[in-house]
Formats: sequence, C-alpha cells, structure tokens
Amino acid sequence: MTSYFVIVGHQDNPIFELDLSRTQDSGGANESRRHLNQFVAHASLDLVDEAKWQSGALYLKTVDRFNELIVTAFVTASQMRFLLVHDSSVRGQESIRAFFNDVYELFIKAILNPFYVPNTYIVSNNFKKKVQIVAKKHGVAL
Amino acid sequence: MATDQKAEVKGEVGQALFEFLHMEMVSYLVSSKEKEDQGELISKLEALGYGVGARMMERSCRDVPRFRTELDAMVFLCKQFWVHLFNKQIDHLKTNNQDVFVLYDNNFRLLTHLTDSSQYSDELSRYVAFTSGILTGALSNLGIRSHISYEITKPPQCVFQVKVLL
Repeated sequence: MTSYFVIVGHQDNPIFELDLSRTQDSGGANESRRHLNQFVAHASLDLVDEAKWQSGALYLKTVDRFNELIVTAFVTASQMRFLLVHDSSVRGQESIRAFFNDVYELFIKAILNPFYVPNTYIVSNNFKKKVQIVAKKHGVAL
Repeated sequence: MATDQKAEVKGEVGQALFEFLHMEMVSYLVSSKEKEDQGELISKLEALGYGVGARMMERSCRDVPRFRTELDAMVFLCKQFWVHLFNKQIDHLKTNNQDVFVLYDNNFRLLTHLTDSSQYSDELSRYVAFTSGILTGALSNLGIRSHISYEITKPPQCVFQVKVLL
C-alpha cells in the first residue's frame, strides 16, 4: 500500500514529506518508489494549480492519476498545497478530507513556532510524529 | 457574568501590552545606534513585521475559502485580518482596479495614544513601519508580492498604499 504525503510551498519546494507506506524488505525497490512518489507529486502540481482556480473549496479531491497512483490535493487560503499520493487501497474521500483538515491544524501550530523560518523545510520531530498519529487515525497509513 | 468580564479584561490587557511592547521596540532600535540612520531602522522594523504578518495570516485564514481575485484578498485583509490585529476594520479601501490599493485607517490604533498634532510627523513614521511589514508578510503568504508605502496624513489617521508586483 503506497501512501506519500507532501506539503508544497510557494516556490514548489517541499515543506514537509512523509512516506506512510507499508515497509518492504527490498531496499532498492524502496528507493525508486520514493523517487517515483516525489516525481508524481511534482508532476501533478500543474493540475493542482489549474483545479484550484475552478473551485473555492479547500479540498480538491482527486487531481491526477498515474498508472495506479492517485493524487489527492488540498490547497489552503495561504496557497500551501497538501498532496497525498496513494493507490486505490486508501479508500474514502471523507477520511482523506478529515486527514487533511487535521494536518492543517497541526501545520498552523507548527509554523507559529518563532524558530521556524517561513517557506523552509519543517524539521520538527514533534510535528512528524503527530502527523503519523493522525494518518493512522484516519486510515491513510498502517 | 463575572467570567465574561474577566475575559474582556484579558483582551484589553493583551492589546495594551502589544502597544507598549511596540513602543519599546521602536525606542530600543532607535537608541541602539549612535548615528541616526532612519532608512536602516525602518527596514529593520519592516523585516520584523514581515515574519509576524506571514504567521498571523496563516492563522487568520484558517477556515476561509481561497480567494479568486486580489481584490477578494484585500477585502479579507481589511475586514477580518485587521480586526485580528487591532480590533477594528480598515475604514476605507480604494483601488484603481489594476494593481494599486489604498487603505485608509482613520484611527490607527498604534498612533492613537501618541499624539494628534503634526509636530512629530517625522518620528511618527517609525511607528507605522512595523505594521507595513505585517502587511507585506501577510500578502506574501497569500501569494501576492507587493510593495507597501505609507503616509501619516494627520495623526492618528494613516494611509497605506499597496502596489502589487507582477
């Protein structure tokens, strides 16, 4: 089951990445899968930007498909793009939407930290753990 | 009733604290250099405001749907964002429908308690620099790069001119 979550900033730079897939034993396949996830997410940014002008809602549902991978997007009013690259084993638009909302709350709290420089990578371990817990709670990760 | 009163009092103390802190911040920056270098001082204050503005905007636009146009974003800024900062709205917003917006604040909160004569108009511009930084930071978080200039017409009335850079 593949599940890769990334927050993309204003310059198309990743602010936060988290691989929530089931861990496999083969190291080599893992590497290439990680690269593929990142590539698919980056490629879908154009479609996300197109979709975001069409609706005013934050949650944009499925934006792009690549082979069996589906990209779901959520764009905030401050133009931060949250992308989830997953395969069809992650079900339920509602649970993904709830996951995005919870991560948005955590994200706002994380960027209010005065030690965090805006539009850079979030290095807080606390934030990473909390996102993992939220992902498990909504069935986006194992 | 008693808890309501306490909550209101807490809010007022918070605002007064910010005004005092802001005044101290300006005095500290002024007194920390021997030579009077107005330009550097103003840009330091604006840089301080930039980070604050970006974070405040992230918090303020929590449940707000995305803005379709820059005008929508400016209206949000004048109404909700200014209320979060200063507990009042911008009194008047003008635009030339291209890339310039002018915000009129007839009773700018950070200037209200200073003076209402135009004797100190040179020094007063320092007290608005931080807020102009807040505006730049807030707009850049919305994805709008802009250049802000301000003018204190008659204290405490203040005019911000936002020019959107493309």
